[in-house]
Amino acid sequence: MKKNNGELGFFKRNSEKIMTITIILILILITLPIIIGYFWLIIRSFSEDMVRGFVPTKLTLKNWRFLWSEMKGYPNIWVTTFNTSIVALGVMAIEVLITSLGGYALSRYDFPGRSSIMKLILALHAFPAISLMVAVFYLLKVLNLLDSLFGIILLKASLEIPWGTWIMKGFYDGVPWELEMAGLIDGYSRFETWIKIVLPLVKPGIAVTAVFAFLSGWSEFVFINTFIFSQKFWTLSKYVKGIIGDFRFADYGLVTAVGLFYMLPTIIFFFFVSKHMIKLTIGGVKG
Amino acid sequence: MPSIRVKNLKKYFGKVKAVDGINFEAEDGEFIALLGPSGCGKTTTLLMLAGIYKPTDGEIFFDDKLVNNVPPKYRKIGMVFQNYALYPHMNVFENIAFPLKTLKLSREKIREKVLEIANRMFISEILERKPTQISGGQQQRVALARALVKEPEILLFDEPLSNLDANLRMLMRAEIKRLQSELGITSVYVTHDQAEAMTMASRIAVFNFGKIVQYGTPDEIYDKPSNMFVASFIGNPPMNFLKGFSVKSVNSELHIFRDDVELILPLKMKKGIFESGVEKFILGFRPEDCEIEFESSSNSIPGTVYVLEPLGRDIIINVKIESTGEMVKVFADKSKIPERDQTIHLVPKIEKIHLFDPESELTII
Repeated sequence: MKKNNGELGFFKRNSEKIMTITIILILILITLPIIIGYFWLIIRSFSEDMVRGFVPTKLTLKNWRFLWSEMKGYPNIWVTTFNTSIVALGVMAIEVLITSLGGYALSRYDFPGRSSIMKLILALHAFPAISLMVAVFYLLKVLNLLDSLFGIILLKASLEIPWGTWIMKGFYDGVPWELEMAGLIDGYSRFETWIKIVLPLVKPGIAVTAVFAFLSGWSEFVFINTFIFSQKFWTLSKYVKGIIGDFRFADYGLVTAVGLFYMLPTIIFFFFVSKHMIKLTIGGVKG
Repeated sequence: MPSIRVKNLKKYFGKVKAVDGINFEAEDGEFIALLGPSGCGKTTTLLMLAGIYKPTDGEIFFDDKLVNNVPPKYRKIGMVFQNYALYPHMNVFENIAFPLKTLKLSREKIREKVLEIANRMFISEILERKPTQISGGQQQRVALARALVKEPEILLFDEPLSNLDANLRMLMRAEIKRLQSELGITSVYVTHDQAEAMTMASRIAVFNFGKIVQYGTPDEIYDKPSNMFVASFIGNPPMNFLKGFSVKSVNSELHIFRDDVELILPLKMKKGIFESGVEKFILGFRPEDCEIEFESSSNSIPGTVYVLEPLGRDIIINVKIESTGEMVKVFADKSKIPERDQTIHLVPKIEKIHLFDPESELTII
């Protein structure tokens, strides 16, 4: 009997092991193209040349020269990086401010048109922004915001806000009403209660919205490419596009290095976010 | 401490009449309970007293001051919620100190007050912990401390004990009652647990469907329920009801009867019965107001023992009235315990009998 049990247990463990290994193998296989792609990107950016476009030859920092020397025909990389940060931070600031207010209103107030607004938000999010290009061009022209980073920030933020509001509403929904009631009874106004009690409890939501807003601002290309004309307002995405060039011979060492440089904040942010995303629970008290 | 007076108070949510014209008052320092099943409007009433909900109609007075439009923060109230509503991002100390921070007190003064109330509620050991790191009973004490720290004039309780286990509930029940009488704060206590209402409050308002069906002392509510709802809601086990009785005068006696039973009622009930104009009655008696006999007698109801429920101190006997299938619960004398399926005879205490109108369900006697 004993032996039989042992065998059974062993058999079970073994089959589980095989299962796990199979799953891992499949996952590796699926992610392989992506991993190889990034791997190539990193190797290429530190290599003199690639034999058959794949085997690195000599280690070099030459491709990263754009960081410390002016590139002819291109704006200064640090000005461009600064512009990119301005756009990303601007979108983030506006979006966090408006979505944290709008999400609260949608979650807590019952006003006429509330449900249609919520439906509209979803529909709006499904619309490709690109379809608005002509109208937006006209709008920016009228507002005198063409060739201006502020115009891009406003545009990008306004397209992101519906989605962010929806996300924030979800987080507000998770805050029990009683906490707000308690705040009111403890002697605070509704606004003070929102600041002191509700906002701290939706911090994870604000973090998520902020990070996504930052990244979407950081990675914005289409609007920059369309509505920004002066090199002094270029952002990194436009810079990458510039060095790939339409009528130039592409220096792939340079392209990979700039591309990698451009990706850095994204990579850092995702490491940061993935940790926090798992903890996306409102710290409610057990009831 | 102020008295509370509620006049014709209403709260409608769209078409739903959550509270539909209620009246009650609580004296200065009194402890009253709002009792009723879930969804009967008692919590809505409490939230109107707190100033969270605005009444649709009617008036709320604290002393002689109309407070309908006074925001919660000016009402000098403290409230304890069912789920305690402790702020999860603050530790216990900060939770208790939170109401004090609006008062522009010095840090030392706040600290002093928090420590004082924490001592009183036996939670000074856990001031540094977060609400999620303490037990349900401790959360309850923290919630009480937070409600009391501002020295409110009115205390509102919204089912504060229903999340605790049975033993702790009994303990806190006594503690809250003691605390309230020591502090003399006018208190309104919402509960669906009749035992809490009976043991703690000096007066109970029994709610049903957004209305107060009876408002009175625990004894009044228990001994003279105004209708069948109150009679069946109060008491554990609740009152027994037997249907289909008629009344007749025999010689100079008053008889109440149906096919299987005929009881003689005291003559003093005659006036009330005939003035009601009702012809069919529902007879009610409480489980403890009934004797068990093994022999048939004049004032007895025959039945068979369905099941026995021993409670340690008492035993509840479930009796099935064979002719109608009605079930009756009575407390039995421990020296006189029948066996299952045995035929016995129930002798209700005639003085303690209640009669109800089956149409309106109102009490006649």
